[in-house]
Amino acid sequence: MTGGMEEFHNGSEGSFNAEEADTIVKECIENVVGGGDYSQSQVNKWTANIVERCLTQLVKQGKPYKYIVTCAVMQKTGAGLHTANSCYWDTAMDGSCTVRWENRTMYCVVSVFAVATA
Amino acid sequence: MDYQIEEEAGFVVEDVSKIIKESVEATIGGNAYQHNRVNQWTTSIVEQCLSQLSKLGKPYKYILTCVIMQKNGAGMQTASTCFWDNSTDGSCAVRWENKSVYCIVSVFGLAI
Repeated sequence: MTGGMEEFHNGSEGSFNAEEADTIVKECIENVVGGGDYSQSQVNKWTANIVERCLTQLVKQGKPYKYIVTCAVMQKTGAGLHTANSCYWDTAMDGSCTVRWENRTMYCVVSVFAVATA
Repeated sequence: MDYQIEEEAGFVVEDVSKIIKESVEATIGGNAYQHNRVNQWTTSIVEQCLSQLSKLGKPYKYILTCVIMQKNGAGMQTASTCFWDNSTDGSCAVRWENKSVYCIVSVFGLAI
């Protein structure tokens, strides 16, 4: 790709589709955690499963991207939680998507970062 | 491919870890968890880290995440997975705490 990075020369095929990623992530969370309650012994498995599933689905799309998927699961006890992300990348091609999900006993925050490969 | 890249040019976990620790100490330090300041803290931590990282001048894209949690007994688990180039890309996560706050910062470096 020799075009200038600032040109939006790619159609939606070439850039990160945040909506699609959002749908993928929500499905993965539902499938893994669904209606369960927070469980200290299971949470390890859940976070690992969620990130793996999301990654697999994203890679299946076959786009020229590197992906980073992070997942945080927190028990609802009234504690305050705050997260922030900052990225140093190519704003035309790269993108991210964050999904916040909750049920009665826990919060789940999943972030997907997609970085275009040259 | 030959191992032609010098150590300096790769993702050096130690350097990144140091940058993160300094930035968290400088921002939160000995302060107690305060709901109305946490927003500022997370922003300040990621911004400081990012500017230090870009100063390293390496051909990398960076992604930083910062989680700050109040200590009140809640359980929390985080995980991340990456689809990248194992030979050039890397990550570093730092867990920090004081009496009332947990702070977890992750840096992912992707070679251009």
